[in-house]
Amino acid sequence: MTFVTIVLLACVTFTTRYLFLEGRLPVRLSSNFKQFLSFSGPAVLSAIFVPILLVHDNQLDLSLQNPYLWGGAMAVAAGYRTGSVYWTVGLGTLVFVLVGYVF
Amino acid sequence: MTKGVQTALRKGVVDMLPLSFAVLPWGILFGSIAVQRGFSWFEAQMFSALIFGGAVQIVTVELIADNVSLLTILFTAFVISSRHFLYGLSLRERLSPQPLKWRLGLGFLLTDELFAVSGHRRAYQGRLRLFYALAAGGSFYLAWNLWTFIGIVAGASLPDLTDLGLDFAIAATFIALVIPSIKTLATLVACLAGATAAVVFQLWQFELGLVCAALIGMSAGYVVSKMRGAA
Repeated sequence: MTFVTIVLLACVTFTTRYLFLEGRLPVRLSSNFKQFLSFSGPAVLSAIFVPILLVHDNQLDLSLQNPYLWGGAMAVAAGYRTGSVYWTVGLGTLVFVLVGYVF
Repeated sequence: MTKGVQTALRKGVVDMLPLSFAVLPWGILFGSIAVQRGFSWFEAQMFSALIFGGAVQIVTVELIADNVSLLTILFTAFVISSRHFLYGLSLRERLSPQPLKWRLGLGFLLTDELFAVSGHRRAYQGRLRLFYALAAGGSFYLAWNLWTFIGIVAGASLPDLTDLGLDFAIAATFIALVIPSIKTLATLVACLAGATAAVVFQLWQFELGLVCAALIGMSAGYVVSKMRGAA
């Protein structure tokens, strides 16, 4: 019975992922809607990473002792200056670890 | 296998590597919760092998163990997974013309993490970029299943790794992908509005928060781009 539930859950997650990749689905995207969708990448990723930096244990943490804030600021600066994934992740993580060690 | 395909596969795995490692604590957490809540190791592994979702697995494994009704379980999974509709819609133009086996395979692998590395303006165009996505998504799948397995066999004897700060790697990688893509005021506004809404929703513990925050960000970006287009 548990296995059946797992398979049904797999159907739910797969459907949400696959549905709009199916060409036979009669959905035409207007140019306005495509323009709206062009913001999905930046909007979704920001909506995922900013709460990781600012919300801990369901509390807003804007204190200067929050290493996520310092690491995040460094990563944003490095991403802006270098545009390189490796520098951004590397420098951001370095600052995150150092600040976490100090406090 | 041509040299080009090999390079594309390797790049896909390497680009995904920080994210593959960043989810280690959650894979282990899931595996150990599943075993603690009385699931067999086979069932626990099948969650990761078939459902392949982080939050959705951790939430539904608790609901099943608490004997919540099937309909509630499936609906909860649907709500948590609904953000994927957005990814499918965004990639529809590129992926819907591809052969069925690519659509099924990449559709199955379409997680937040694969969507995150799909931002290139020519993503999924041409065979090599499909192989790149397959390697990125596929290596993430293998990593998630390996972490689950470790959680199943050793979870009880491992400390809780989720407060180790590995989630910072997810944030840093996403920053690395987002910041260079901000080239217009509209994109900047989309990011700021989406992020602000996401923080508020997270504090409210609103289940549909991520989807709603993304839609708010996208709307804000769209409105700004229209206003600037008209000006």
